[in-house]
Amino acid sequence: LSTLLSQMVNGLVLGSLIGLIALGYTMVYGIIQLINFAHGEVFMVGAYGGLAMSTYLLPGLLQQWYVALPLLLVGGAAVSVAVAVAMERFAYRPLRDAPRLAPLITALGVSVALQEAVRVFYPGAISPLPFPRVFVDGAYVLPVGDGVPIRYTGVLIIVVSVVLAVALQRFVDHSRLGRAMRAISQDRDTAQLMGIDPDRVIVATFALGGVLAGVAGILYGADLGFVNIDIGFQTGIFAFTAAVLGGIGSIRGAVVGGLVVGLVKALGGQYLPGGTAYDYVWIFVVLIAVLVFRPQGFFGETERVRA
Amino acid sequence: MTSTATSISTALRVIGGLLTVAGTCLPWATFVLGDGPYPAKATLEFFTEPFAVEGYRLHLLVLGVAAVVIALVPVPGQGRILRALGAGVVAVSVVNGLWIAVDGGGLGAVTASQGDTAFGAPVALAGGVVVVAAAARGAPAPEWPWRFPPSWERLVLLVAFALLLVLVSALLTSGGQGGAANVYAGAVFLSFLAAVGAGMGALHASGLLSWVAALSERHRGFGVGVLLVCALALPFTEAGSEYWMTVAANIGVYAATAIGLNIVVGLAGLLDLGYVAFLGIGAFVAANLSGAAASRIGIVLPFPLVMLISAVVAGIFGAIVGSPTLRVRGDYLAIVTLAFGEIFVRAAQNDIGGLTGGSNAIPGVPPLSVFGQAFDDQLVIGGIRLAPGVLYYALIVLVVAGAMLVFSNLKNSRLGRAWIAIREDEDAARAMGVRTGPIKVLAFLVGAVLAGLAGAFFAHKTATVSYESFRFIESVTLLAAVVLGGMGTIPGAVLGASILFVLPEKLREFSDYRLLLFGIALVLIMRFRPQGLVADAHRRAELAPGADQPTVVLPAVAAKAGG
Repeated sequence: LSTLLSQMVNGLVLGSLIGLIALGYTMVYGIIQLINFAHGEVFMVGAYGGLAMSTYLLPGLLQQWYVALPLLLVGGAAVSVAVAVAMERFAYRPLRDAPRLAPLITALGVSVALQEAVRVFYPGAISPLPFPRVFVDGAYVLPVGDGVPIRYTGVLIIVVSVVLAVALQRFVDHSRLGRAMRAISQDRDTAQLMGIDPDRVIVATFALGGVLAGVAGILYGADLGFVNIDIGFQTGIFAFTAAVLGGIGSIRGAVVGGLVVGLVKALGGQYLPGGTAYDYVWIFVVLIAVLVFRPQGFFGETERVRA
Repeated sequence: MTSTATSISTALRVIGGLLTVAGTCLPWATFVLGDGPYPAKATLEFFTEPFAVEGYRLHLLVLGVAAVVIALVPVPGQGRILRALGAGVVAVSVVNGLWIAVDGGGLGAVTASQGDTAFGAPVALAGGVVVVAAAARGAPAPEWPWRFPPSWERLVLLVAFALLLVLVSALLTSGGQGGAANVYAGAVFLSFLAAVGAGMGALHASGLLSWVAALSERHRGFGVGVLLVCALALPFTEAGSEYWMTVAANIGVYAATAIGLNIVVGLAGLLDLGYVAFLGIGAFVAANLSGAAASRIGIVLPFPLVMLISAVVAGIFGAIVGSPTLRVRGDYLAIVTLAFGEIFVRAAQNDIGGLTGGSNAIPGVPPLSVFGQAFDDQLVIGGIRLAPGVLYYALIVLVVAGAMLVFSNLKNSRLGRAWIAIREDEDAARAMGVRTGPIKVLAFLVGAVLAGLAGAFFAHKTATVSYESFRFIESVTLLAAVVLGGMGTIPGAVLGASILFVLPEKLREFSDYRLLLFGIALVLIMRFRPQGLVADAHRRAELAPGADQPTVVLPAVAAKAGG
């Protein structure tokens, strides 16, 4: 029982992280129907941005977690936002009216280029790099069976993810920019006639996705204690799976999808044949099954909250 | 345009051409670079004895003189020819100038440093820019109506393909084998590639290439035969060494696979991001049936049968992967194929069923042999010694030729038209009575069969089959080859595969930056030439800007245009 519970905790923590990233996929897809393959790399770049900050800019400030954590979160998010906005501006915007295949291939190119850029230019990025433990280390042990450890960073991740997701939902529902986003996702031309500048709104969407991905990157590093250049691709695929699972375009769906993916990975690696070597495979199997049997996802049809 | 403006632009073109020639004669580097003298020895001196203009300077000289001549003689398609020549001059001088500057540690290496001057690169660059700027965007390439007696036309084709063979051989070997011992290989190759590209562009602009293409269309059987013979004659040229034959055979594997992918993506319009898995399946099947020590299956079968089984197994998997197309469309389908591809890699990595060797791979796949002649041994034909590996090259040429044949026949068949109809508009195709479901699955199946064939060859050629060769990035590279070459065209897939798999061979010193440059290149291609190098007539219309919007022709305008 304690194994099951601790795997579920692992799954939920991973799932919340994936959900955060999935929000970026879902918002961009909702507004311009583009699978932004490079979004996973935005997450990775955020993690490396935070790492660079803690290593080179302010190594002295990291003694207290309540100083270090907010600083790193802001720094990582800033790096991610910069990359996401640049990517939109220089890679995707010129292709706004091109056929579907062109932006998708561009996204692949951006993804490869970003990953390689970090590998080539970040000192020592060829191998995994240690990430500072900027949050309280250790775990609370739930007294069930042999004990179920719940790491404090895990709690942090779940809390931050839920808060950000709720904030995003409220933002999209109630703010002026959120209304503009929804308008553009419904009909870009009409929205433009109503005085909305699509370029600005789309950039804002990428930037918002970047914030979430950057935060996720820092949390990932803080939780696992290391970062690697291919986390972007892997986690990106998971997040995309989550977004599809929940119904792409739906904020709530992305979060729920993330949790499901996290649980499938944790529990599948534990209980299904093949063990952790095949945990990725189960996620892809779920992805294929969902796409084939319920392409609109959990929340896709009933609730079309497109960001 | 007034006559003064015309004469001014003519004068500018001539000046640009002369500047290029002047740049050719000037020294290019102010000192001997740390890695040894830059290619084309005269880089240090002003153009003096022994008047050996060679390498990139010879190319520049030819381009510059051609620009002057074309600027003065009013040939049809003049503007476009000049633009191609000028762009070639720009590319060649940028490649060489940049290389010298970077290797020499700054712009001083190409301008002036410690009393020595070398303005070759800037002057030639300026010449190229002037030519491009002064060359008006002219009318489309002229069409040549000429016809000759059939035997003459065949002779022209023969000469054209022979020239192509020489060109391919020269391109393949230009700069030699890249690496630490030959640091300028990349520069020499890129520079030559730019010069050849400029020449091809100029010929295309003059209408000559289209004319030759029309000729080969008129004499299709003859043309194909000559092309095949030329391809098989490559080992007899300069490129016949073991190293280049290996490179050429590897290109062949990816070219055949790219043709298969081109069926799925280019014809049927179904984006497949896990395609390399089929190559992997073919390779693993062949490796297991070949008698390699690591294979779990004790059966050893003759190669043709192995190839057949590989193709069939890959085809079965192709149908499985293709089956979601019945329900999933567009971007989602791309993701499903990506998921299948990743599942394959994971499974192979974990040695599924003991069939893939996991991280140990399957080593020791024996080389092929025919009549006691092992394929990796040297071959003697009529007293001429051919390098080891030539037979592999010959075999893959036949495989690629077969793939081309399959592709071109399919493209013009009922099935091919159905695929294209699905690509253009699936709902409309269905409404017209195309049974879209089975036909889409068939596209995956046929594509996978071709990849499976190539995979069986690949297993024997490389002797070691590892999951490492079938990662996601390989699928992306194959897709890039198809897109770069031009979707839906045969020369496109081969051209794209050749470029993408030759460049890493040539640019060894940049192997760190290979994928970075590759990613950036993908973005740039999509931005500036989404239809690829060889554009398909249908595709050209579709990938043009705004092609997604239906063209609205007002009845009055249409009537006027028609009347």
